[in-house]
Amino acid sequence: MNEKNNRILVNGNHAVAYGVKLAQPQVVPIYPITPQTPIVEKISEFQAAGEMVVELVTAESEHSAMAACITASLTGARVFTATASQGLMLMHEMLHYASGARAPIVMFNVNRTIGSPWGFWPDQTDSLAQRDTGWIHYYCEHGQESLDTVLQAYRVAEKVMLPAMVMHEAFYVSHALDIVEVPAQKDVDQYLPAFNPLHRLDPEIGESWGNTVNQEMFYRHRRDLGLAMESVIDVAQEADTEWQELTGRGYGIIEKYRCDDAELVIVTMGSMVGTARDAVDNLRMEGVPVGLLKVKLFRPFPTEAVRQALMSVPKVMVLDRNFAPGTGGFLHQELKAALYGVDDGPGVHGYLTGVGGTNISPNNIAALVREAMSTTPIASSVWKG
Amino acid sequence: MLQFIVQGRGGQGAQMAGDILANVFFREGKYVQAYATYGGARRGTAVSSFIRVDDQPIRLRCNIEDPDVIVCFDPSLLNDVLLKDAKEDTLVLINSAQPPEYFNGLGRFRIVTIDAMAIAQENKLGRIVNTTLVGAVAGLLGRPSLDVLCEVVSDMSPVKVEQNVKSCKDGYRLIRKEGAK
Repeated sequence: MNEKNNRILVNGNHAVAYGVKLAQPQVVPIYPITPQTPIVEKISEFQAAGEMVVELVTAESEHSAMAACITASLTGARVFTATASQGLMLMHEMLHYASGARAPIVMFNVNRTIGSPWGFWPDQTDSLAQRDTGWIHYYCEHGQESLDTVLQAYRVAEKVMLPAMVMHEAFYVSHALDIVEVPAQKDVDQYLPAFNPLHRLDPEIGESWGNTVNQEMFYRHRRDLGLAMESVIDVAQEADTEWQELTGRGYGIIEKYRCDDAELVIVTMGSMVGTARDAVDNLRMEGVPVGLLKVKLFRPFPTEAVRQALMSVPKVMVLDRNFAPGTGGFLHQELKAALYGVDDGPGVHGYLTGVGGTNISPNNIAALVREAMSTTPIASSVWKG
Repeated sequence: MLQFIVQGRGGQGAQMAGDILANVFFREGKYVQAYATYGGARRGTAVSSFIRVDDQPIRLRCNIEDPDVIVCFDPSLLNDVLLKDAKEDTLVLINSAQPPEYFNGLGRFRIVTIDAMAIAQENKLGRIVNTTLVGAVAGLLGRPSLDVLCEVVSDMSPVKVEQNVKSCKDGYRLIRKEGAK
């Protein structure tokens, strides 16, 4: 299978860097943080080798890196950056600014626990805590999907003029060697045309951004931002369909796996999807009617597609590798909201699994399926290791 | 599926050993996955490298709980956590000058020892035993092929390429010879 020379064995972070190289951003502001750093290191190597023509801006903090992303993007440049955990936390103020400025930046965030205490483990709480910042959010299962999604994210972001962040998890994906197929540059050029926005900051043109506005103007601006976000559902679906036609690889904005006749459907996102696929196959072999729903696009949340996928399923079991104290698992909250009002809708179990990076095997998931099938769900998320 | 756990300490090259094995099986046309975890991100703390090899794409994103092979860089790492999932047919390869019987108290596994440190020092590699140990793994399992393994060791050695290839071959041959006894 490796006779094709575009198949390489690289870790998930380097797969992202290959995707970025194909997108050909002009400006990449960077600030290092584990476990993201191999992404920007690889980009720096590409630049040094003359394989990428890009301006790398070494900022003094992640906040400044994001400020540089916004300003570069507003001049009409294609922009990329990457971060993780504390770095994303420090960017928070600028994340709101980026979506408000309608700057279609693409950022990769490697999901890592947030201190305190200190850790380097896979946990999605960092990016999920940014869910209301007006960014498009994608979650990926493996290195190939991360590479492909970076390119899809540019396509979507530049069409709707909103920033997009793409996620995969520490270690299980970021530092895992995976076989990845690198698409041809000519195919990517066809898929992703040069970024050429209607408005841009240029002294020759004389436009500006960021003046004080009145209440009415602010209201209209927020409403427009919301409409742009809503349009992402269709735009992202179309971007994925075209990517599949071009490369043979498509992911959907959600994916149903073996959901036919399922009496329980597992819902999760990120790396745990892969493990859950094995759990579903093992259970199906034993005759247990279980399926899996992968949520790839998290913002905007694909409410209608999720409702359609789950409305006739008796039970849903959400697995969250993240935790919001006071409300529980983020995905659990989303599922309860998405399924609200469905006549005779499914009971929704919410399990906190793998929070802080604890190990979750197919056997753990199978045991939870059996438990969920024989118990009545409660409203809050339950700790399950 | 063939599953390996390589256990070392930060700075010993356990992660590189895992990456070498993954690359060799990849070149042989297999699907592979390899990743490492480390608690302290500093020299001396435990580093675990996990390698999966299969004929079909690997979807699992979790720790290896039923290893076929455990490679241990240092007997001081042979604790209950590492060995809790080892079964009777799990191959436990230990870098040690002691005979396998010395480790019988650990449990009923297929224990094999190799004095990788002596081989590494003979080849002027100091304390870098990873290339010797991957050679020994290939010798024990009869795969991956020694030729492809040496090719990968040669490509991936940052320095002392010939010495690393020689250590790999020495590790392979010593195990084959011992096994033939």
